[in-house]
Amino acid sequence: MLNRKTENLLTRCITENKENVYRLAYSYVRNKDDALDIVQDSIYKAMTHIELLKNPAAMKSWFYRIVVNTSLDFLRRNKKVDTMDHEMIETYSPGTEDVYSDMDLKRTLEDLPVKYRSVIVLRYFEDLKIEEVAEVLNENVNTIKTRLYQALQLLRVRMKDDTSKEIT
Amino acid sequence: MNNNIEQLQKEYQEVPIPEELDMIVSRSIQQSLKRNRNKRTKYKWFASAGTAALIFLIAINASTSVANALSSIPGVDRIIKVLTFREYIVEEPNYDANIKIPAITNMDNKALELGLNNKYLSENKALYDKFQAEMNDLKKQGGGHLGLDTDYEVKTDNDRIFSIGRYVVETVGSSSMVVTFDTIDKKNQILITLPMLFKDNQYIERISDNIKEQMKAQMKADPDKVYWLSETDDDVPPTEEFKTIAEDQSFYINSDGKLVIVFNKYDVAPGYMGSVEFVIPTEAIAGDLVSDKYIQ
Repeated sequence: MLNRKTENLLTRCITENKENVYRLAYSYVRNKDDALDIVQDSIYKAMTHIELLKNPAAMKSWFYRIVVNTSLDFLRRNKKVDTMDHEMIETYSPGTEDVYSDMDLKRTLEDLPVKYRSVIVLRYFEDLKIEEVAEVLNENVNTIKTRLYQALQLLRVRMKDDTSKEIT
Repeated sequence: MNNNIEQLQKEYQEVPIPEELDMIVSRSIQQSLKRNRNKRTKYKWFASAGTAALIFLIAINASTSVANALSSIPGVDRIIKVLTFREYIVEEPNYDANIKIPAITNMDNKALELGLNNKYLSENKALYDKFQAEMNDLKKQGGGHLGLDTDYEVKTDNDRIFSIGRYVVETVGSSSMVVTFDTIDKKNQILITLPMLFKDNQYIERISDNIKEQMKAQMKADPDKVYWLSETDDDVPPTEEFKTIAEDQSFYINSDGKLVIVFNKYDVAPGYMGSVEFVIPTEAIAGDLVSDKYIQ
């Protein structure tokens, strides 16, 4: 079978990254049971639709993408996403200094719209390259760079010089 | 401001890994592997059946006398009730569509036959057009993955009842599956609907209650099974909870003459449970049935 080899590779990829994808799922849903469900669903989806993976070299990004999409699906289905209107984004953007300076860091990250949260988590926490983040989120590299920049603006995180070089 | 990405990163790394993770991961892998094996053998079977159907189709199209001759042979008459009428296949890197459209032949009620066949054709054509549009959109945006699979299965074919189920699986990272059924009374040549089987609307509650009982029993017997029932699980979001079946819920009648209620993937259970079916014991609904003609 043509797929047998890819199947073995995928099994290994899943096993090696299981803790990472659990954390990734957790970063979206913020609770253990839902994160475990998402991991389980994602594995099932990946394994049974292995024929859709066209480039085995991009396996990890592909699997991460399934995890991200499954998490987003879950949020959508459970309506746990807080939508942000213009006013709220205004509040978070620079210019309204110190309003949230006392806020818990975790809350700050959680309050980011998911599209910003995804880039932060994948780039800095999962330590993926910009190109890989783009692959996972199915966007082009420039979009990801812009989004990462905006995300950092929103977080108002002071970055070290070496890391900021990466996004320019 | 001491907000620092490193601190956030540390918090992220400190999310505890539950001990169940290992077990859940290996179990999911095993289950999917098992499913893949089954799927492969099933596809092989479909392939050969498909070839046979194609030959039939050519023969029938080529000559009506062949069709007439075939339908007069006892036994063959059943086989040629459903044919794969048309297939659309898209095979490009990252884009897959495999659309199989069934066609029903040999019915005496030509209006019903034509109506059903037109429905199958137009629904599948719409799916195919939608797929093409989405594919072109994605290509313009720089690429993506898209999959579409439609197929059908004859659930029951006996003297009285003919049930055909059609499946639509759409894959965009995650997949969704929609199942629809048509059940035909062969003797009277009519399409059977769920409300038609019952005296009044009581059946909705009666069947729903029975399904809830079955869900509870299944969950008790097998901890791997999960249904969205609020009585057993407080975490069930109110929007997802299973309350009652729809008036025109998907159903078919199996070869034992039992009513089978079908739910789409995600409707009453988490995605990994797939599309689920419940066989309703005839005793539970006997009082509501119009007659025992179809359901025994």
